[in-house]
Formats: sequence, C-alpha cells, structure tokens
Amino acid sequence: MRRTPLTAFALTLLLACSAFLAACKNESQPAESSAAPAAQSQPAPMATTPVSSVPASAAAAPEAAPAKEVASKPISSKPVETAPALPAPGPAGLADLDPKEARGSKSAPIVMETFSDYQCPACKQLYMNSSRQLTDNYVATGKVYLIHRDFPLPGHAYSRIAARYGRSAAQLGKLEQVEEALFQSQEKWEQTGDVDGTLAAVFSAGDMNKIRALTKNPGVEAAIEKDLALGRSYNVNQTPTTIVHYKGQTYPIVGIVTYDNLHQFLDQLLSM
Amino acid sequence: MMQSSPLNPSRFIIWAGRLIVGAIFVYAGYSKLFTPNRMWSPWFAFKLSVSSNLTNFGQQVAAFQLLSTAGVSFVAHTLPFAELFLGLCLIFGLALRISAPLITAIMLGFLAVVTRAYLLHMNINCGCFATPEPLNGFTVLRDAAIAALAVAMTILVFREARKPHPWATPANS
Repeated sequence: MRRTPLTAFALTLLLACSAFLAACKNESQPAESSAAPAAQSQPAPMATTPVSSVPASAAAAPEAAPAKEVASKPISSKPVETAPALPAPGPAGLADLDPKEARGSKSAPIVMETFSDYQCPACKQLYMNSSRQLTDNYVATGKVYLIHRDFPLPGHAYSRIAARYGRSAAQLGKLEQVEEALFQSQEKWEQTGDVDGTLAAVFSAGDMNKIRALTKNPGVEAAIEKDLALGRSYNVNQTPTTIVHYKGQTYPIVGIVTYDNLHQFLDQLLSM
Repeated sequence: MMQSSPLNPSRFIIWAGRLIVGAIFVYAGYSKLFTPNRMWSPWFAFKLSVSSNLTNFGQQVAAFQLLSTAGVSFVAHTLPFAELFLGLCLIFGLALRISAPLITAIMLGFLAVVTRAYLLHMNINCGCFATPEPLNGFTVLRDAAIAALAVAMTILVFREARKPHPWATPANS
C-alpha cells in the first residue's frame, strides 16, 4: 500500500473515533435505546444492576408501565452494591420471596433469580443445559439459592397460562416437575396451547385437580404480576435473565449461559 | 489532475465505503461481544459477559439452520472478532487490499444467507447486530446496499492502487 498522508490519516482517525464513541454512547444509554425494544419485548443492552427498594416499588408498579419509565431506572455498567432498607429481607436482602418458587437453602451465599418464560426456546435451553446441573452441583450443596420468577412475554400466546399452571403446581411443592414437563415438551404444547394436557400426563389426577383449582385463584395471577413488575424494575426485557446476588453485589446475566461458564463464574464468585 | 484528486468520484466512494462499511462492521462486532451482557469488572464477570453474549449470538447463527453445531460454535466465536478487526482495518486504511476484499466476501456471504432465509420465510432474527431484529425485506435490502458499497469500494481500491497517489511527487520532477 502507498503511504497515506498524515492529514488523511488524522481525519480518518477522528471520524473513526467519533463513530466508535457514538456507538458506545448509544449503548451506554439504555434509558433511550431500550425504550422501544422493551415495548416490543426485545432485548436491549443490559448492563443493568437495579438497586434500592426494588421489590417493594416494583410490586406496586402497574403491568403496562411505560417502557421509558422502566428504562429510566438507575443503571450501571458494573456490579453495584444492593442498597438495604427492604422490609423483612429474605436471602441476599430479597423481600417478596415465595419459598415455594425457590430451591435450595435460604442461607446459601449466592442467590440467583431466573426470570423465565415457559414458552421461550432460550429458557428451555438454559434449563436443559445449565439449570439442571446448577441444581445438582450448587443448589443441592447449599451454595446457591435458586429462585424461579415468571416473566411471560406478551408475544407468546400460551406463556401466561403456562406460568399460571407452573405457579399453581409450585404451590403444591412441584416446581421442578412442572419445569421439567413444560420445557421438555415445549414444542408440542406451544402449538396447541394444551398446557393442561401436558401436565396431566405427568401429575396424578388428584394433583391435577388441585392445580386446576389453584389456577383460578386470583392470587396466582397477582403473583405473576408481581414477578413481572419485579423484572421490569430490574430492566428485564428478555428471557431468560438471571440476576445473581452475592455479598450485596448484583450481576445480571441476560440470555443463555452455558453451565461451564456459569460454573467458572460461581466458583470465582465464591472464592472472592 | 482532477482524476487523481482526493475528491474525484473513485476516491470518494473508497472513503465513503471505508467509513460506512468499516463503522458498520466495528459496531456489529462490538455489539455482539458486549451486548446484551456488559459487565466490565471483575475480570471473571467480564469473561462470563462476553462468553454469554457469544453463546446467545450462536443461537441466532444456529437459527439459520445452515451449519453443524461445531460450525455454529466456530462462527459465533470468530465472526464478532473478525468484524471488529476488519472494520478497524478498513477505517484506518490498514492493509486495504486484504481487508476490503475480506469484508466484501463476508458481506456477500451475509447477503446470501439473509436472502435465503427471507425466501424460505424463516421467522428468525437476522443476527446482524446483537439486538434481535426480525429478518424481513428491509434487512435484505440493507444488506444488499452495504454489499454493493463494499464491492464498489473493493474494485476501486484495487484500481486506484495502480495509479500514482494524488499527493505523491511526480516521478519526473
């Protein structure tokens, strides 16, 4: 190549830096960039780490909170300290916690909240490839307290009803079975919406009757709404999203994470 | 002298191509590496962040149903870095006769893949950038426009390379 004159090089450098900075700036302002995607249930850059009064304020938030309002929550590009001052805190200072929607020991050093949609293929991938091993190696050994959060996306026709059934089954202490059944046969029931039939093949008739009765309970729907509101307060706009809490720090992980990566991350976190 | 002026049409297209296509590639690579997860510290969180983003990008690549699992993994773990590196080369004018054809080849590959998916009515995300966007006619047209610019730029880069540089001292002076 011929030698480029210095002025031309400088001009190129200047333009390139401007373009790059503009791109970075655009990404570091999810308040604007995530507004539209949030409304369309599309993901946006998530360097988000929600902080204070998350569950309390979120529980009161309306379901159809404007995207801009959701996106205007404080965000940060690195883990931040979770502010205390939550009433009756559970593990990792989390209030508003239904133990039936969680697995493991409450005294586990790491708390993970997974915002999931039973009809989302990526949630199935996460469940199949990471969550099971996570349960065996970290939850069962008392290192992780794993909380299931329902985040049915509006674009999925049957995810809300699946969440309702899942929530109801969890009330009977059958969260694991319902997750297994719904994710395993996701491709089948998402075509027909036959969540009931899918679960009926797994549970006994007696349990199914209890589950069916519970799905009609307004409290179940309210609990789903609470999870949704909590997710919005975390700026969750994509499933699966996992929020890891450890020693007052919050690490949001959006999308699929392989077990190998998660395992390395958790081990590093525990050794901190 | 007008022909060798930096403002002649050929040079203008090369400049525009370098800046536009280069910036698009840099942004595409950057977004795939650092979106949606972007934890900068500590180091292990950064590693998880990038690896998780690449895994998610791999899902989008797999959705095109063109590659084996190993192929998907290879593309997902190399393409974002290649886009970033080649985009920077293009912007800074480094090894233009290598970076420009490579970017053009990648761009034509994208166009072929996206057009195939569009014609097959595949209801998938285009995977162009990290933010999922449904693959539609606009995506195909956009890729076609970028590919056309990349092709024109590459042809002109080679053509201009044979001419004396406009600001070079004439050989006989």
